[in-house]
Amino acid sequence: MSRTPWRLVWEHLWAHKVRTGLTVAAMLVALFLFCCLVSIVTTVNAAVTSAAGNRLVVQSAVSLFVDLPRDYQPKIEAVPGVVRASKLQWFGGYYQELSNFFAQFGVDHQVFFDLYSRDLEIVEGPDGETGPEARAAVEAAMAADRRACVIAEGLRSRFGWGVGRTVHLIGTIFQKNDKSSWEFNVVGIYRPLKSNVDNLTLWMRYDYIQEFLDGGLATGPMGVGVYVLNVAEGYDPAAVVEGIDSQFRNGPQVTMTTTEAAFQAAFVSMLGNLPMFIGTIGGAVVFAVMFTLVNTMLMAGRQRAHEGGILKALGFPNGVLSRLMVSESLALSLLGGGLGIALAFASQHSMQVMLGSYFPNYHVEPRTAAYGFGMAAIIGIIAGVTPALLQARLRPTDALRSEG
Amino acid sequence: MSPMIEMRSVAKTYFRGGQALTVIESLDFEVETGDFVALMGPSGSGKSTILNLAGGLDYPDRGRIVVAGSDITELPASALPNWRARHVGFVFQAFNLVPVLTALENVMLPLLLTPLGRKERLKQAEFALEVVGLSERMSHRPKQLSGGQEQRVAIARAIATDPDLILADEPTGDLDRDTANSVMDLLRRLNVEIGKTILIVTHDHVAAEKAHRQVHLDKGVLVQEHRNAGPAA
Repeated sequence: MSRTPWRLVWEHLWAHKVRTGLTVAAMLVALFLFCCLVSIVTTVNAAVTSAAGNRLVVQSAVSLFVDLPRDYQPKIEAVPGVVRASKLQWFGGYYQELSNFFAQFGVDHQVFFDLYSRDLEIVEGPDGETGPEARAAVEAAMAADRRACVIAEGLRSRFGWGVGRTVHLIGTIFQKNDKSSWEFNVVGIYRPLKSNVDNLTLWMRYDYIQEFLDGGLATGPMGVGVYVLNVAEGYDPAAVVEGIDSQFRNGPQVTMTTTEAAFQAAFVSMLGNLPMFIGTIGGAVVFAVMFTLVNTMLMAGRQRAHEGGILKALGFPNGVLSRLMVSESLALSLLGGGLGIALAFASQHSMQVMLGSYFPNYHVEPRTAAYGFGMAAIIGIIAGVTPALLQARLRPTDALRSEG
Repeated sequence: MSPMIEMRSVAKTYFRGGQALTVIESLDFEVETGDFVALMGPSGSGKSTILNLAGGLDYPDRGRIVVAGSDITELPASALPNWRARHVGFVFQAFNLVPVLTALENVMLPLLLTPLGRKERLKQAEFALEVVGLSERMSHRPKQLSGGQEQRVAIARAIATDPDLILADEPTGDLDRDTANSVMDLLRRLNVEIGKTILIVTHDHVAAEKAHRQVHLDKGVLVQEHRNAGPAA
């Protein structure tokens, strides 16, 4: 029978407070970074995986940055299988200063909220409505006010905006001739239900911008960035895609219609190998901290050789000594790693604010935390096994002669 | 009654820095059950080697060692720790207590290797500390104890599991005369009153007088041995 004197693990952790504190801190920082970096990658990928299967995006075959003519819309809507279509025009403005950049889109307010009924939820209407009435109230308010807009909960938290507020945006793509800012009245607040919808977006009426452009009061692209449409139940999306693209094969703009998932994937691919690069950095940080912990545990093992000799003389087998070493290492790595993961969760909101413009819907997934915790456990075991093996090789008499 | 320790034709050579150093060439040595033996001799004479071999901390290169009825030269290395835990209690010159544990926790350490439950382990450790007169110092850590008290804790740890044999390597080496006397008196009490077989290694003639038998070694060879006249005060 060989029970393990677990108390030794606790006592050693407390006896070397500075060493314990620094090692835990190193693990904390490494796992925090790991979770944050991996979360950026999963956030980017989540937009692809959560995209609706029955939604198609029509863009120019040349590039996403080439507009489509406005008169394409009735032709697209006439294709069998198309339920409803909305323009989606990138506005590209900012609030007060460039650092306050976030996504804004001009949409067809009559159909847009139907198109995205499963992806976002209106949580507050123009008169404080909540629940199912909120959406109808917002649609009515959008119809009544050309300057109306709906904002995400994330924007409410970031800028303190609320329903009834007039938001002034400075246009970069669309600019008024008198150089004044664009004004939008907040009539509702939405909450994303899926990762493909950003929590830092403002939806405005496309026709409001169109009026300025057509009236010569503003400059900017006269066309439409993309059209988004729903495919009716029972229709083959591939046939709808063919139906749309075949219409415009001879121009004036050739279209490329894809599923929303393919569109998101293409958008992600524009980032090049950035997700892989970020993921690699996350892995490298964890790998580097593993060497720190191995070094710490090797030093601890060397300091503990004499104690190992005492335990061996008393009759404790090598297995018990190994358990002590690995447990101490695991305690350090799991405590630090756990705190780092907890910090990654706790800082989600701050990170969303910080990264929102670039990585909308940034969030730490439970599987990222589990992956991080697993990494911390593996690091702890590796760091503990090395000194444990060295200690096991020491003869009791040599271990007792070593300096404690 | 069979001897507690029986060594036959034992040889041990160490290799240090590529040099072979034969400490014991062919030793025959016995310690009777219930005896209290002091091994004496100059440095390098092989005293500590004999102690280590008898305690199963090291293997001889040749020969046979039977301790408490077990031929430990036949035991595999993996079985020796368990054998040590059941049969041998060690007392070292430098006390070798675990510094981060209290006196009570140090004494309880070897009891973890027994089938006893926590309450029984606690009771036995408290009893062992009571035997060595340290009931008042149970919650003290080694740094908070004097050298003599540390050695008493080490003795309590050695007897906590009620082993057949106590092996003490220079148990008074780091102690002043008065403390050394009290430690030796304690060992003698354990021998006389509880019947523990004790083998100590010492340079200290006064300490050796407390043993029943003195064995003198030189270059790994027994050169002289005699029984002390009677219990020394």
